[in-house]
Amino acid sequence: MSPAFGRGVMTNHMIDLKNTNVALIMGSNMAENHPIGMKWLMKGRFDPKRQTKIIHVDPRFTRTSAVADLYCPIRSGTDIAFLGGMINYILENDLYHKEYLVNYTNASFLIKDEFSFEDGLFSGYDASKRAYDFGTWDYQYGPDGKILTDETLQHPRCVFQLLKKHFSRYDIDTVCKITGAPKNKYMQVLELFCSTGAPDKTGTICYAMGITQHTVGSQNVKAFAIIQLLLGNIGRPGGGINALRGENNVQGATDMALLFHIIPGYIDSPTNTEDNKDLISFIRKITPGAAKLPFSNLNEFRELVKAGIPYSGWRIHSSKWVVSLLKAWYGDAANAENDFAYHYLPKRDASKNYSHIALFEAMHKGEIEGLFVNGTNPVVGGPNANKEQEALTKLKWMVSMDLWLNETAEFWTYQGWERATNNPDVPKYTPKDIGTEVFFLPAAAVYEKEGTASQTGRWVQFRWKGADPVGESRSDLWIYNELGKRIKQLYAGSTRPEDEPIVNMTWDYDGHDEHEPDILKVANEMCGYNVADGTPVEGFAQLKDDGSTACGNWIYCGATTLKDGQFVYKPQLRQKEDPSGLGLFPNWGWAWPMNRRIVYNRCSVQPDGINPWPGDDDRRLVWWDEASGGWAGWDVPDFIKTVGPDNPAFKDPFIMRPEGKGCIFSTNGVLKDGPFPEHYEPWESPMPPILNKQPLNPVAKVWEPEKQGNTDKYPIIATTYRVTEHWQSGALTRNLPWLAELMPDMIVELSEELAKEKGIKNGHEVIVSTTRGDIKAIACVTKRFKPFNLGGKIVHQIGLLWHYGFKGYATGDIANRLTPHIGDANTMCPEYKAFLCDIRRA
Amino acid sequence: MKVTRRQFLKVTGATAASFAILDLGFDTQATAAAIKELRIKNVTPVPTICPYCASGCGLVVYAEHREGKETQLLSVQGDPDNPINEGCACPKGAAMFNLREIYDPHTGEQIINPKRVKKPLYRAPFSDKWVEKDWDWMLQTIAERVKETRDKSFIHTENGMIVNRTEKIASIGGSGLDNEECYLLSKLMRSLGVVYLETQARI
Amino acid sequence: MAYLTNLYDTSRCTACRGCQVACKNWNQLPAVIEPFQGNYQTHKDTNGDTYTIVKMIETEDPVDGVIWNFLKYQCMHCFEPACMKVCPRGAYTKTDWGATIHDPDKCIGCQYCTYACPFEIPKYRKREDKIAKCTLCADRVEEGLQPACAATCAPGALMFGDRDELLQYAEDRVKFLRANGFPRATIYGKLELGGLNKIYVLTDTPDKFGLPVNPKIPGQIPFWQDWIQPYLGWLIPIALAGSAVSFVTTRILANKHGEHDEGGHE
Repeated sequence: MSPAFGRGVMTNHMIDLKNTNVALIMGSNMAENHPIGMKWLMKGRFDPKRQTKIIHVDPRFTRTSAVADLYCPIRSGTDIAFLGGMINYILENDLYHKEYLVNYTNASFLIKDEFSFEDGLFSGYDASKRAYDFGTWDYQYGPDGKILTDETLQHPRCVFQLLKKHFSRYDIDTVCKITGAPKNKYMQVLELFCSTGAPDKTGTICYAMGITQHTVGSQNVKAFAIIQLLLGNIGRPGGGINALRGENNVQGATDMALLFHIIPGYIDSPTNTEDNKDLISFIRKITPGAAKLPFSNLNEFRELVKAGIPYSGWRIHSSKWVVSLLKAWYGDAANAENDFAYHYLPKRDASKNYSHIALFEAMHKGEIEGLFVNGTNPVVGGPNANKEQEALTKLKWMVSMDLWLNETAEFWTYQGWERATNNPDVPKYTPKDIGTEVFFLPAAAVYEKEGTASQTGRWVQFRWKGADPVGESRSDLWIYNELGKRIKQLYAGSTRPEDEPIVNMTWDYDGHDEHEPDILKVANEMCGYNVADGTPVEGFAQLKDDGSTACGNWIYCGATTLKDGQFVYKPQLRQKEDPSGLGLFPNWGWAWPMNRRIVYNRCSVQPDGINPWPGDDDRRLVWWDEASGGWAGWDVPDFIKTVGPDNPAFKDPFIMRPEGKGCIFSTNGVLKDGPFPEHYEPWESPMPPILNKQPLNPVAKVWEPEKQGNTDKYPIIATTYRVTEHWQSGALTRNLPWLAELMPDMIVELSEELAKEKGIKNGHEVIVSTTRGDIKAIACVTKRFKPFNLGGKIVHQIGLLWHYGFKGYATGDIANRLTPHIGDANTMCPEYKAFLCDIRRA
Repeated sequence: MKVTRRQFLKVTGATAASFAILDLGFDTQATAAAIKELRIKNVTPVPTICPYCASGCGLVVYAEHREGKETQLLSVQGDPDNPINEGCACPKGAAMFNLREIYDPHTGEQIINPKRVKKPLYRAPFSDKWVEKDWDWMLQTIAERVKETRDKSFIHTENGMIVNRTEKIASIGGSGLDNEECYLLSKLMRSLGVVYLETQARI
Repeated sequence: MAYLTNLYDTSRCTACRGCQVACKNWNQLPAVIEPFQGNYQTHKDTNGDTYTIVKMIETEDPVDGVIWNFLKYQCMHCFEPACMKVCPRGAYTKTDWGATIHDPDKCIGCQYCTYACPFEIPKYRKREDKIAKCTLCADRVEEGLQPACAATCAPGALMFGDRDELLQYAEDRVKFLRANGFPRATIYGKLELGGLNKIYVLTDTPDKFGLPVNPKIPGQIPFWQDWIQPYLGWLIPIALAGSAVSFVTTRILANKHGEHDEGGHE
């Protein structure tokens, strides 16, 4: 989503689902995995004003399908074909929201003449590198440096016309042949969802891992973005693209940059290249539009910012975020004389990838010595789990933190190496072969400690402590605080320059209680304070790049304040008023950025900034208030407050994008695999390519070519997923008797047709195999699975729960022993959702 | 400015999660002798947020804090004040009591979940068992391992610039942590020079 | 006074089974872990430590395709409970708002009630040698709280309140469903057995949800109530001896239902 809108976040929030006219749930099993989301859709269904209709598109008939108004099956890994057909349908039938499209998106922007697309490849492809040169993926600029546009949308080089041409190949019959969707159901989906292009209607798209866990995961999301921009559904109540996140604080963990490619606040992490060599170079690199500007120090740069940098967007302020971060981390050691200690930050190797799959590949080669594992369980949850488990044997030491001894903590045990079959290609170990030293630190449960969590809609809420930790278990805050103190102690007194980042790291979080650090001290640093007196910085607009403010994460700036001299941490707010009736609850917790509940909300009013969309008065979120000369509204405007009608940026609602518009065409390689989505088959697919000549996303990195399964040996599609009763790798549910009771066994779901073919009966033990391994499971033969008819070819699909492992009250074989080490071309998110397998009776 | 701890709900002018009293229109005297007394009556609920999916549902913990003994839970259930879930809880949220305590299937008795680990554990290289250790030894030993590995593998300069990184230490996970915990983790790892830093968002 | 009822609307239920766990959570019941039952359903029937289950039934229709029906199953809190009629120790009482309450202190574990119940709801709990069943969370309701199952229900399939008002919702909802693709939608619990203090909105006929279409109290039950119970306490030992045959039969039947009581594996 970030390439289209500027931020990669859920645009709306859970409660807002009640405001929608039509919900398209695709690649998500919402009723099972986000039951509270379903609660709000149900509210909409019973609201006479909305009468929400629910569409479910999924390879499986699930509990979501059971309550949906319309269910349409789709073969795993063909989402772009399905959505491309929808884009084509919208354009052919003029169902788009024209006023919105022209004003709020880049549909009218002209693209360079050199940009082209042929045989599934965009211009600039280099087959030897499996990568694109992005030079031609750009706008046309006039002599004044302004982007050329055509608001009539007729120019052959405008984004709108290029889009039309690109997706004209996605006709309904071709789409149905690729996806296996029955034509009548597909037509119903098109008709119902595209009805939300009417200005008085909004439609929402809810997705989860069924969309992202593919070699084309990012482009799947991009296809959603195009549809929602065409239909005018972004930035409005009941609209949006709602990424339903799966872990309670995965949003927060991402915000805090527990990912190799960013530092806190979604700033690219620095690399070992010339353009990152010092603070000024780095600022030039991360500030859009700054590349060629004349400046050589911060003072000169500040002058340029004050004057305004064209096509920079809100990221024009990046220098303030970086300097405030350095100030928060390194205190007095970060000052104007030493680039605010920018050199302390690690610079990753720009030519390397450090993401999950790469990390385990490196570990498997013996390149990593020590590993911290915090509340995650790759032996169950990682792709190609046999390999990931073997990788752990190559470590010198591992620190595991969890409530229980999960499968990763016990990867070295006898039990850990038991396998369903004797497969010579699968590694086998005993404890005496494994030299890894393992430290297990028992962690406190969620309500045995305090802190905040950021939910999927960016609402940050406080958790109070309801009970003491069990036994000697401790909060992770305490563990990291103690560890930080001890590491600092070991380096104390060192004068080596490479030790400075540790010696000078600020680390003062002790509280009154020896078992709990002071969480509000952490909060104050994270959200930002004025260096002079320690008082909170009230919002990121007040952050400075001169060292006078410190802020560990600029997007959380504004979450703290002083009230009557008392420090207030806004995630603790529990006020229940909802003046708009739209479910915004502005004083319940706090939402980043700046308590905006629906981002890009400038789009909820017409371009004039005042009038609601015709017939949609009650879904107007913000408006230009002539009297006060500023933006006002029910929600906090996601807009610069003072930008009025006479400012050229008045109609630029996407403030985090340099061009200020929603991007149907993604320029300059923000998506590495194309400015538009294109359907490519999964790495392991039962079908040859139909729409183009590429067998796989041309940019996806193939890690293990020898492990690619083919249809001769593995003719059946497999997909993995979760059920409502368990969660992720199951550590947090299979250890709970009440949840073990609800879903006690590892099952594989298959159709009656396939079962008959294979002589399998309901309840039989079966073996499922791929090139990566084999597992045993119990067959659940069900009417809910059906073979796909792909233009006359019948293809079967089976479904595997990936919650099980060898520990806990409910145990079973690990589905991820089957999944491949291949990921999305942009995010490296593994392709768990579509691979080839075979199944037989045990 | 001094930040004080434990300001709880008062500062924010909020109320503790209330009993969502229904107006049932009748006298609430027990009408049948066999009805048990409400075990959470007059107990202050403590609000928390569910640790499973990211919907952000509120739950409240009712516990009995007994002098000199371990806390015992009375109930963990949906927070009726939280506007996201309005007191509802899916099976996982409704089972949160089990994160800490369970009812023994043979005796019916309320006990600490036996799967919870109560002491730090250590597995020596090539060993086939865990050994209990104290926190002090564990943390000190881990800190020493970190230093040893870092110092041995540290890349201070490269291409004529300071790069301050180690590729021999990795950290994964953290999506189950609170923001403040993630923040400390992020800061500590980056200051050590760790670049193999990943969380569940990727997988 | 007006009855307070739980209404369950099958058209809104997602079978997440939050209710099943919330029931155990509130009523302090251990898990009864049984192996895979052939589909997602956890147990074939309720048991001494499981007061409520969600039945999950798959069917296929040539027009509508696959249909997956869900039904929350538990004590129906009948207006005239058979369990109460047959209990030799008077362990059952009816609250003035409609809950059928079982008093374990009076129970002798004879399981006559299990046999008498048209829904086979009272279940034997071996470790205490007593019967156990849904209480409609009377302890919560009497303090102004909803029953645990209704309080936890995310999609709003379970509602709790005045029975007449809920009946009105049910009538309206059935009318709507019949006009919108569910021609056989119906109410259950309004008239069955003279009225249940539990209302169902069904999207199809009761048999499609595993409910008895026309529930009946077994034939010999009125005899017990009308002839034996009036003699009260002093007659009970004699009555028990006198009806030894019937008693043994009941016990066997009940044990059959209670087979899984001590189940569970790790």
